[in-house]
Amino acid sequence: MTNASEVLSSIQSAFPGAVLDSRVESDRRLWATIDSKKILDVCKHLTNKLNFDHYSGSAGVDWIARNEMEVVEIMASHGAHKVVAMLKVKTPRENPSVKSLTGLYWNANWYEREIWEMFGINFEGHPELYPLLLSDQLIGSWPWRKDFKGYPDLTTGERAVAITTPEGYTEYRFPPTPAEVEAGTVVAERPKYPTFREREEREIKSDSEMIMHLGPQHAMVPGPFLLDVLVEGERVKKGFLDVGYIHKGIEKIMENRTWLQGIVYTDRMCYVASLSNNECYCGAVEKILGLEVPERAQYIRVILEELSRIQSHLIGTGEFLTLVAGVGYAPWQYMIIDRERIISLIESVTGARLTHTFVRFGGVRNDLPDDFAEKCKTTLPYIKSRVNEFIELFAQDAIYQKRMENVGVLSAEDAKRVGIAGPALRASGVAYDMRVEDPILVYPDLDFKVIVGTKGDCADRVDCRLREILESIHIIEQCLDRIPAGPIKPEAKIPKKVPAGEAYYRVEDPRGEMGMYVISDGGDKPYRVKVRGPFYATLQTLPPLLEGVYIADVVAIAGSMDGCPSEADR
Amino acid sequence: MLKRKMIKNFGWPLKTAMREIEVTRLYPEVMMELPENERGIHELDATTCIGCASCARVCPNSCIEMVHFKYGNPLKNKKMQFPQVDYGRCMFCGLCVDECPVECLKMGKKVTMAGWERKDIIKGPDFLATKRFSAKEVADLEAEAKRIAAEKAAAKKAAAKEKPAKEGNAAGSAKKKVDAKPAEGGAA
Repeated sequence: MTNASEVLSSIQSAFPGAVLDSRVESDRRLWATIDSKKILDVCKHLTNKLNFDHYSGSAGVDWIARNEMEVVEIMASHGAHKVVAMLKVKTPRENPSVKSLTGLYWNANWYEREIWEMFGINFEGHPELYPLLLSDQLIGSWPWRKDFKGYPDLTTGERAVAITTPEGYTEYRFPPTPAEVEAGTVVAERPKYPTFREREEREIKSDSEMIMHLGPQHAMVPGPFLLDVLVEGERVKKGFLDVGYIHKGIEKIMENRTWLQGIVYTDRMCYVASLSNNECYCGAVEKILGLEVPERAQYIRVILEELSRIQSHLIGTGEFLTLVAGVGYAPWQYMIIDRERIISLIESVTGARLTHTFVRFGGVRNDLPDDFAEKCKTTLPYIKSRVNEFIELFAQDAIYQKRMENVGVLSAEDAKRVGIAGPALRASGVAYDMRVEDPILVYPDLDFKVIVGTKGDCADRVDCRLREILESIHIIEQCLDRIPAGPIKPEAKIPKKVPAGEAYYRVEDPRGEMGMYVISDGGDKPYRVKVRGPFYATLQTLPPLLEGVYIADVVAIAGSMDGCPSEADR
Repeated sequence: MLKRKMIKNFGWPLKTAMREIEVTRLYPEVMMELPENERGIHELDATTCIGCASCARVCPNSCIEMVHFKYGNPLKNKKMQFPQVDYGRCMFCGLCVDECPVECLKMGKKVTMAGWERKDIIKGPDFLATKRFSAKEVADLEAEAKRIAAEKAAAKKAAAKEKPAKEGNAAGSAKKKVDAKPAEGGAA
């Protein structure tokens, strides 16, 4: 089995002088600063020789005191080994520019676009450096830099100046006030690029083609995102995605809140998976603090996260069935009725139904109530029987099968290449689960299988989710048998200030790989929090999957991904 | 074969409908049973609150403000400052409850708070306090606080009278310290 120090020595021997600085945190984590000229060669070497075939994302960091910017590439492997390499590339703060990895990894596209629009770091060789989350008016002020002064206030209608265009329409503009120009909140120079509309219309080649809008407000989408499809007759030729309709800037907000207050904001990224988001953030901070979680607290966390996974999969499947709506009954309500019981179980521990704010640094907020095990003993077998019934129902329904089988097929190679994770990846037959790859809490002691599919079509993805519910129930039952008595919080008081350091922590979200990269500069607030959300990766793979399918299949494919645009936009 | 299976599936909703399952609740006539840990409207124990404002500091939405309230304990809470919560902004995260050093702030099972105007859902200590002193108790406590303050003042006076003998020494040592400090700084 490869470990982090072997990976480091392999890079050092292949490219002498390329590693400027390195730190082997554990067998699974490697931190290395790579010479910016050699980053492409190092990545090629990692992929070809050392099986790093999973480009997991990248993060930008603005080190204003050192007058430089950093791009952190997160590299992992699909099961060949368990090392996560965090490769840093440095660039000066004046005209920052690094080499783009889009030539090597298809899914680097969106991550680099996000860094460009937020930090203004140019990526040499990027094919389409257009804004992704921000609107066109806000590009050029680079909001996630540390010296960002805020946007001009464009919310008041009194400032609007009416201008009559040559065509006779009235347009409203917001000219900046002299005070704003002086304060530096007005963008002096805006980069030039074709707008989303222009990019779309460029693809229309003949009169028989047209663009159809699905979203941002549409019955199909679980949250607001714009999916435009270029159709010719009944066939989709190309898909275009525009996200950022609910961009909240949570990563920037967390930089301005104390460590403890940050937990609250992780809830709001995706409310159906708020417990795993809590876990991810708290785990990363615990890693920097070097905190040990008491065993009872670990078991409580596992139980609640698995319960949360069950309710998320139930709502995901229900939502998907509402979208396809061709099965002759209304399964959404049945899923919701079942989910209600799980939510009540979670509520009896955390005190909230969706936004739990339950996990704390080094422990949990509340202990399990006395009758929790009994309640589980009545609820879980019921959910189990219902889920078995659902699986049987889908397996024998001919209409459902005709609609879902061999639709939106993602082969194992393609799924690995596009960097998708979670049930959508496992449905393609790749057993990649963070609970096994990057085990946290008491998961290594528990007995569970990683559910995989065979074909990777829509039916497989839904089936995987339903069978994962059964597996989660199995995990909870084991935990309830084994849970020891003891404290649920560390004895020592958690310091208000976290020592300087950085950590990358991964958990298995209901939707896939959730990672948080947290940097502390020794203060009472995080210096930078990067959220690598699972649905961001899934959403990126949607347009290529839609090429060549029927219009009616678009909702089936998009729905089977179990989306949460709120988390993708953050 | 195919048809038979489909007919079986169509029978499924009928089967489910036959079961007596409660789907909608008769809110507000019948309230849902809430667990002990429920995070609803705050409950303030005004008799023990020390007015430290740590709840106001930890609140991520800064919805807690410290305001004056009569029926608290003047011995512990000298300025008589108690939390007032703006429920228009509160997101019921419970950080204020965890942070309270004397555990006087809790979250209860009450969840209804609607009002006609925004200022109606800013709830002061008068609404939040589940435990409070009566006016008479407060008057007694205030009298005691005054008595303690007077005793302290008297003790101080007495100490001041005894001091003059030692004052010369004390002033000398203070001067020495003042002199020493810049020298240390310069050396560093």
